[in-house]
Amino acid sequence: MGQSHVKEFTKGIFKENPTFIIMLGLCPTLGVTTQVVNAIGMGAGVLFVLLFSNIFISLLKNIIPSSVRIPSYIVIIASFVTIVELVMHAFAPSIFEALGVYLPLIVVNCIILGRAEAFANKNTVIDSILDALGMGIGFTLALLLIAALREGLGAGTWTLFAIGSFDGVVEIPILNQYPLRIMTLAAGALLLMGFLKAFFNWKTARNKG
Amino acid sequence: MRQYFKVGITLALICAVAATALAFVNHVTKEKIATYEESVVLDAYSEVSAGFTVGELIVPTDEMVSEYHPLTDSSGNVSGYIVMLNANGYGGEMTIMASYGIDGEVLGAKLLGNSETPGLGKKAESKTYMEKFVGTGSVGPIPVKKSELSKADAESIGGATVTFSGIAKALAYGSDYVKNLGVK
Repeated sequence: MGQSHVKEFTKGIFKENPTFIIMLGLCPTLGVTTQVVNAIGMGAGVLFVLLFSNIFISLLKNIIPSSVRIPSYIVIIASFVTIVELVMHAFAPSIFEALGVYLPLIVVNCIILGRAEAFANKNTVIDSILDALGMGIGFTLALLLIAALREGLGAGTWTLFAIGSFDGVVEIPILNQYPLRIMTLAAGALLLMGFLKAFFNWKTARNKG
Repeated sequence: MRQYFKVGITLALICAVAATALAFVNHVTKEKIATYEESVVLDAYSEVSAGFTVGELIVPTDEMVSEYHPLTDSSGNVSGYIVMLNANGYGGEMTIMASYGIDGEVLGAKLLGNSETPGLGKKAESKTYMEKFVGTGSVGPIPVKKSELSKADAESIGGATVTFSGIAKALAYGSDYVKNLGVK
């Protein structure tokens, strides 16, 4: 794997992180990050759709006429989202219920359409796969960070998957007795996003300087 | 003209392939989804039926009650009703399945369809959340305000007052509805 391939993969995780740097897909980001388990489910869903839509759009880039490229991308993306919905409903119903309306809304997630238009329709399949993996993992890590802070501070818990006798809820001492309820509400999400954006801006500026 | 034809055919082909792929996935998952949906309803019935036998479905013309079933004891006497209630929460419409004695006393309740906030209003889906309503509606009124709850119960609703209020009002309506039904 050449250095340029490595760069295509890593750029989505740090340098061009879709949430903190490019600031795409903020609506589902703020909507689902009330619990850690939702962040994992949403991240996995977006990663899957992004990966397969990038592969198919890159493969079909010379076949799809330019004048109808956006409707074509939407059909491809919507198909993969529906596949994720059906599979989650059948095999992971609790995550399906928790993600609610945000799952079908992956269709209009700006990250996916953005990567299709800005990257997959101009690059090779291999580069598109690496771009999708990097962006998908970057998005998932961003969701995990926001959800861990919001749920940890707002409810004093981290909700993960229930396995056997473990109900999936990790209680955080002290914080679960004095939760900052606002963090789980929409206002808390915006506040936290502001602080995290400021942190990433500071870090980017420091790296440049 | 030829250009439009080519564009149309390409788009139609993409749609046809997508539809075929979706039909295949639907074929693989539909039975599992149907089984899951059925199990959700059956679990809810067994959770709220309080040991009684669930009778036939009756669909009334009421905005807040979408359907109800009589509950019968071992000798076939009507001992109460399971009522499907429509309520309004923080995230929009909610569906609640509740069982009542003939006198309107809440025997059990379960929040089904809802779009409440995970970590807040969604907590109403848990079994323990509805326990605060059980036993009310006959001798004592159903608590519809946070101030009418004990300290521990008030804490359990956390920051989700709108969800609580929506559920409580729907349960109170259901209680009155069942009192009017009596033994039919």
